[in-house]
Amino acid sequence: MKKFGIKGLHDVDIMSVSKLFLLLLILFVFAAPIFVSGAFAAYSENTAASAIDKAEAAVVSAYEAVLGAEQAGANVSGLLARLNVAGEYLANGHIWHGLGDFENATRFANLCYDIGEEVRNEAVELKNEAHGLWVWNLWVRMTISMVGVVSVVFLSFLVWRSFKRRYQRRVLGMKPEVVSGES
Amino acid sequence: MNLEDYRALFATVSLVLILVVAFPALSAVVSFSNGGERFSELWLLGPNHMAEGYPFNVGVGEEYSVFVGVGNHMGCSEYYVVYVKFRNQTQPLPDINNSKPSPLPPLYEFQFFVADGETWESLLMFEILGASVQDNSIFVGNISINDVPFSVNGFSMWDSENNGFYYQLFFELWIYDDVSSSLRYHNRFVGLWLNMTV
Repeated sequence: MKKFGIKGLHDVDIMSVSKLFLLLLILFVFAAPIFVSGAFAAYSENTAASAIDKAEAAVVSAYEAVLGAEQAGANVSGLLARLNVAGEYLANGHIWHGLGDFENATRFANLCYDIGEEVRNEAVELKNEAHGLWVWNLWVRMTISMVGVVSVVFLSFLVWRSFKRRYQRRVLGMKPEVVSGES
Repeated sequence: MNLEDYRALFATVSLVLILVVAFPALSAVVSFSNGGERFSELWLLGPNHMAEGYPFNVGVGEEYSVFVGVGNHMGCSEYYVVYVKFRNQTQPLPDINNSKPSPLPPLYEFQFFVADGETWESLLMFEILGASVQDNSIFVGNISINDVPFSVNGFSMWDSENNGFYYQLFFELWIYDDVSSSLRYHNRFVGLWLNMTV
């Protein structure tokens, strides 16, 4: 009686295994780019979005630091010029992101971030310098004013005393006039 | 004048002198700013940098230019953004009464910082890259702004009243708001009407 049954793997011909392997390899080579590019695209988009978020935060932080330095009395024209370069990069980052060019978007966002950080640090230093100068200036002004006020009060007192003495002497030195009455 | 009158005169003169010598210290701690009206300007100039010669009849493949500018009179340095948008006659403009920007997405943008009393200006070049007429409507597919191509895909119907296919390139001014820590529409926009000639 003839027996029929499923062959085990050990029974399969070596040639068949290698053919199957080759077929799977070819399939993998063709299919992989679809998944890999999708994953890379998503990664790239996320990277660009994250770089833009960081750049935006850096620009805002730099602007606030520049504003603080300006309010402390520092000359911020140089910092504003550099912030404008950062702003241009940020705008380019947004534009390229909107167009789907995530590589350029990331590149511009990173450039913007670097400038934003530099400007922020310099603005903080400038603000501290300006604040120190403002405090010193205030002390000088206060001292001048205090000395001035004390001098004015003292001189006024002296002048008033001397004036009052002279006035009283003049009044006391006056001789009463005798007016003859008619009645 | 009696002695009391002289005393009053002396006191007044002394007080004025005290105020004069105290002014340096007072000016350091008290602000004497006039607190005038604070505002920003937004303008559009033609290619010759004058308020004339604006592009109006535009064709495909030709490059046109305008200057967009902003003036800061807000009392301190400001962070501005100008969004460039493109619309046909039926799409919404910004709502001036409610200070709302147009819901259309921006194609292009400028980000810049202007010191108080200073101005900013930039050249904007644009070109219609593709348009096709279908019966009584026109379709604009792409527009290039400063050499960057954008897809607009906008139809415009024939305007029989004004004899043309009209689109508008408009510019919205946004400003950074310290209170909300974000950019907000500054309730200013300027627009440029374009009559498509294919």
